[in-house]
Amino acid sequence: MSRDIRAAVLVLAVLATGVDCGLALAQTPPPVSHAALNGAWDRYSTATLDPRVTAAAPVPPPPLKPAYQAEWLAQQKAAKEADERGQPLYGGYAQCLPDGMPAMMMAMFPMEVLQTPGQITIIEEAYNQVRRIYLNEKQLAIDDAEPGFWGHSVGHWEGDTLVVNTVGIKEEVRFRGAPHSANMQIDERIRMLSKDIFEDQVTVTDPEYLTQPWKFTWKYVRKPRYKILEYVCEANREYQDPQTGGIRMRIGAPGSGGSASAPASAPGPAKP
Amino acid sequence: MNRFTKHVARLAFAGLLLAGMSAQAHHSFAMFDHDHQIKISGTVTHFQWTNPHVYIDLDVPQDQGDLKHYTIECANPGILDRIGWKFNMIKVGDKITTIIAPLRTGEPGGLLKQVTLADGRKFENGGPAGKANIQ
Repeated sequence: MSRDIRAAVLVLAVLATGVDCGLALAQTPPPVSHAALNGAWDRYSTATLDPRVTAAAPVPPPPLKPAYQAEWLAQQKAAKEADERGQPLYGGYAQCLPDGMPAMMMAMFPMEVLQTPGQITIIEEAYNQVRRIYLNEKQLAIDDAEPGFWGHSVGHWEGDTLVVNTVGIKEEVRFRGAPHSANMQIDERIRMLSKDIFEDQVTVTDPEYLTQPWKFTWKYVRKPRYKILEYVCEANREYQDPQTGGIRMRIGAPGSGGSASAPASAPGPAKP
Repeated sequence: MNRFTKHVARLAFAGLLLAGMSAQAHHSFAMFDHDHQIKISGTVTHFQWTNPHVYIDLDVPQDQGDLKHYTIECANPGILDRIGWKFNMIKVGDKITTIIAPLRTGEPGGLLKQVTLADGRKFENGGPAGKANIQ
């Protein structure tokens, strides 16, 4: 029997025993070394699903306080209506802005984890994002943490779990459009679920904006031998329509002048 | 429904959620009309292999004999690499055929659904962009 067929039989056998058995297996992972976290990873999805580990639940809406929630719901509605009009809102990605934290950890594209003495570095292919987690260091006071896209992260190992705390996220850096204060904290508990799957349990705490901590989990599957690509956001032809505020696409290559029938001089910058 | 089909249904549902989330997470494709796809053939005038989008510029002959210039948005180099594209597989002067979801504004541009190269090879534009619904 070939390896593939044996693997398929194993998958079917596990499927046939039902998801409950799978959950039990997932909850008692074999001991995995900290070093297993090194390497390239993909967001865990059905394409690579291991029947023993359930997919992560969708991220719930942010538990915003009523005043902020009304504003957030209005934004969501405006975005939906703009899509329906065919004029999607001009957002961060079109402006070449990276996700920042915690959105970076959704792993839009493959991600790489590197461990060196005293530091764990996570690189997300999309928008060349890099975050550094300093091990066994004291977290900075909020007032000393210069606001940024990925903030200031410290971490330590508690058994098989990497416990990380992040502060110093710019108020403009918003996950799912949720507003937050300068005091927002992001706590993560990262652990291997099997030798090729790990999870990141995220808790966003911000009593000024949230009625309760915002909790969600992301999971990742190893992407063997994958080499992270460079990602420089350049010469995006999407621009903001000054009339509607929505995204438009410039026709014609930058500098080419286009051809006679093309509005190559459409408004908008060649580069955002 | 037995346990097996229930499990498969659950996985499929999770997959749909994930697919929806990833498309939403990266980019809205709402400026393109996915229901009224068109097929256009022409000569490549520019091939831009960049993030966050790859672009193909195409001069497309019209009935009256003149050329209409189209700009076609593709996914990004990473997504395209992972489905078998190569940075230099399209060159200026190549004659190619594309299926696109045209811009809703009516401007000559669209989102790539499928490209057929001069040598006959066909490529799609990655998961989030969706598939061609015409031949």
